Amino acid sequence: MGFLQRSANIVTYEWRRALAKKWLYALVILALALQVGLFVLFYYFFTNPPPGFTITGPSLEEVKAMMWLVGVLGPQSLFIPLIAIMIAGGSMSEEYEHGTADILLSKPITKIEYMTGKFLGGLSLLGFVIALTTTLGATLAYGFFGPQESIQFVPIIYLVLLYSNMLFFSMTFMFSEVLRRTTLSILAAIGILVGSVFIGSILSTMYVISGGEQLYLEISKWLPNWSVSNLPSFVASELITAPENPFVSVPGGDIQLAAAIIAVYTVASILIAALKFVRSDVTKRTG
Amino acid sequence: MVNALASQQVIMVSNLTKYYGNFKALDSVSFAVDKGWVYGYLGPNGAGKTTTIRTMLGLLKPDQGEVQIAGVNPEKDPVQALQIVGYAPELPALQPFFTGEQLLDFMGKMFGLSTQDRKERIKRLLDLVGLKEWGDKKIGKYSKGMVQRLSVAIAIINDPMLLIMDEPTIGMDPEATAHFRNLFTNLSKEGKTVFISSHLLDEVQRICTHVGMINKGRIVFDGPITQVLDAFTQQWVIEAELKEVTKIMISALKELDYVQDVKAEGNKLRIELKEKKDLRGEISSEIFKHKGVLLSLNLHQITLEDAYLRALKGGQ
Repeated sequence: MGFLQRSANIVTYEWRRALAKKWLYALVILALALQVGLFVLFYYFFTNPPPGFTITGPSLEEVKAMMWLVGVLGPQSLFIPLIAIMIAGGSMSEEYEHGTADILLSKPITKIEYMTGKFLGGLSLLGFVIALTTTLGATLAYGFFGPQESIQFVPIIYLVLLYSNMLFFSMTFMFSEVLRRTTLSILAAIGILVGSVFIGSILSTMYVISGGEQLYLEISKWLPNWSVSNLPSFVASELITAPENPFVSVPGGDIQLAAAIIAVYTVASILIAALKFVRSDVTKRTG
Repeated sequence: MVNALASQQVIMVSNLTKYYGNFKALDSVSFAVDKGWVYGYLGPNGAGKTTTIRTMLGLLKPDQGEVQIAGVNPEKDPVQALQIVGYAPELPALQPFFTGEQLLDFMGKMFGLSTQDRKERIKRLLDLVGLKEWGDKKIGKYSKGMVQRLSVAIAIINDPMLLIMDEPTIGMDPEATAHFRNLFTNLSKEGKTVFISSHLLDEVQRICTHVGMINKGRIVFDGPITQVLDAFTQQWVIEAELKEVTKIMISALKELDYVQDVKAEGNKLRIELKEKKDLRGEISSEIFKHKGVLLSLNLHQITLEDAYLRALKGGQ
């Protein structure tokens, strides 16, 4: 039995552990329900537009044909990063809190194999959740608004969404190992998510007030939330070049920079978690 | 595995020192356990028993010293070292979202057992630990005693050469305790090495072939159980109860060559001997010689508990 099989055992274990959580189902159902709600709202709006309402630029028919982007990118705004945080938050820490780390790590497995299995287990589960929301988003768009354009890009957008969400997933995973407390890890990650949105807004305002001072914009790009929320839109803009694309109007989005920032945060988080885990004792029950 | 089969020494703990902050939990602990031994690791709460075990399993990093399991350092190569180890922790916490069967199956997978092997062993082990009817129930519904039993089953899922048990019978009812004592003894007869940490002296005296005693992080005794009583016996004592004790009788007993001292309390005599011999015949003859009426005469031999208490006080 090699590295891959031992890690794969932990991947399946991690799925079982995460799927035993009722809140995960609740959060996923809520995300899916909101997607449905959003489409119902749009459908009502398009079929019963308020008097005098007109869309500038593309026609209503062109907008309807791109509604899959709303379905696919919509959950990314809040729910997917939140689900990523919730999945990763207890990944390492719960084993310490419940005292089950002893049972697992007294078996023939290295710490790196164990951590790899934990990380990939949680990430693959997140990938499954994103696949669910993506599939539902595309299906709802088709169901409510008929044939969709450029829908062949859904798999690429899916991969970009998964890649983007690795940032908060990895960061929370790192907190989970470093703090060894699930609640603290989740709070720390949510704090960073909310904090970066808040600081990003302030920096944007400063940018406008200062008459376009680039420094504010450049700083805001390094906040974790900027790359996570913008990379999928940047990629979508790049792929769907049709001028009528109304949902991803982020011209000049720096895909390389956003991707690099996600990579930097992700790799740094994984390295910190691995160093902490390999170098320190397996603590007894802390819960 | 090659090392394990070639060597008789299954556990080698050498000069192990472990700090928790400024607190020295283990202070140069050294001992060795050979194949086939049932090694009882005794000590009061907080003495360092669990710290020793967790360091032996590579869960804790020693500040000094080294552990080898069948010649392999578990911290450096846990895959090889722990392949032959079964471990049942003190008051185990098991994953409540698994059923007993699922958890045993998962643990079997971690040891690389085939599907067929796992299936057969799970059935046999659940029966062995008395959880046959509970195999398909979620562990979250188990009582503490049942979790303890399942923990023992997990510890032997891989048919380990070395079984490490931390307070294995805590939380078990007397019947289960007796059952598991027999199990450990039988495993030892099969040539397996059993390392049991316990503070239950009776349990250790019944099943162990060797004993290590730890107090305040230091080993205070390490050797065969047959030697432990002798090692901590300072002198043998005969206790006599008579109808009446006279001064002449006490003086006469004190003058005997093999008597160290005689202490009287009411109609009872405590006769401390110079030699570790059963001299009740000689003592009773002397008492009869002085018209004494003997009601009872007992040789007070040291128990493991006495030895243990003396060891903790540092007296050997």
